[in-house]
Amino acid sequence: MQGISTVLVTVESQESMQARPPRALAPRGYGAGHSFVRPNDVALQCRILSDALELIEHPPEPGTLVIRDYS
Amino acid sequence: MPLDLSRYCIPWTPLRRKLLDATVMLVSTAGIYHPPDPPFDVEGDLSYRRIPSSVTAAELRYADAHYPHDCVDADLNCVFPIDRLTNLVREERIGGVTEFHFSTGFTMALRDLRDQTVPVLVAEVVQQRPDAVVLTGG
Repeated sequence: MQGISTVLVTVESQESMQARPPRALAPRGYGAGHSFVRPNDVALQCRILSDALELIEHPPEPGTLVIRDYS
Repeated sequence: MPLDLSRYCIPWTPLRRKLLDATVMLVSTAGIYHPPDPPFDVEGDLSYRRIPSSVTAAELRYADAHYPHDCVDADLNCVFPIDRLTNLVREERIGGVTEFHFSTGFTMALRDLRDQTVPVLVAEVVQQRPDAVVLTGG
């Protein structure tokens, strides 16, 4: 099997999805420079990273953008 | 400009092992570098940087003029979650990390990025043998 499993964390989903990434996670309501939302919020940033990796282990349909609330 | 490979189909590679056994890598376009490596040219740069996974976010810098910096000025994990990956290793939720992560800088020369930079970068990524790659932008 060729290739490497990837997941994209994006806050610019419209632009990102033009490249048709296999899996993508977008925190809802945050802009550029805030892919992991808030500085020094270790628990929240770990949760976002875990959610992204979860999309690799238990993937939705190829090309799916998952939008989540992280307020 | 969509990449040729993804124009008609979505590249898809399933994870070969459980996440708790997987080696994970970060690849970013956020202009991250590890001094004394030189910063990126913020007006346009086709090079990339290796980021040792042994360092912390506090030891890294960014060179960018195209995304807001309020979050990264306080915590580089906002765009490059290197410390959070370490957390997940410590919690045994992933198997480990590759020796190096990678970052590119800003460029609008997307064709050159695709034709010149990406093949070399991908070869380096493959050499690191990651099971999973988390991609981030600025």
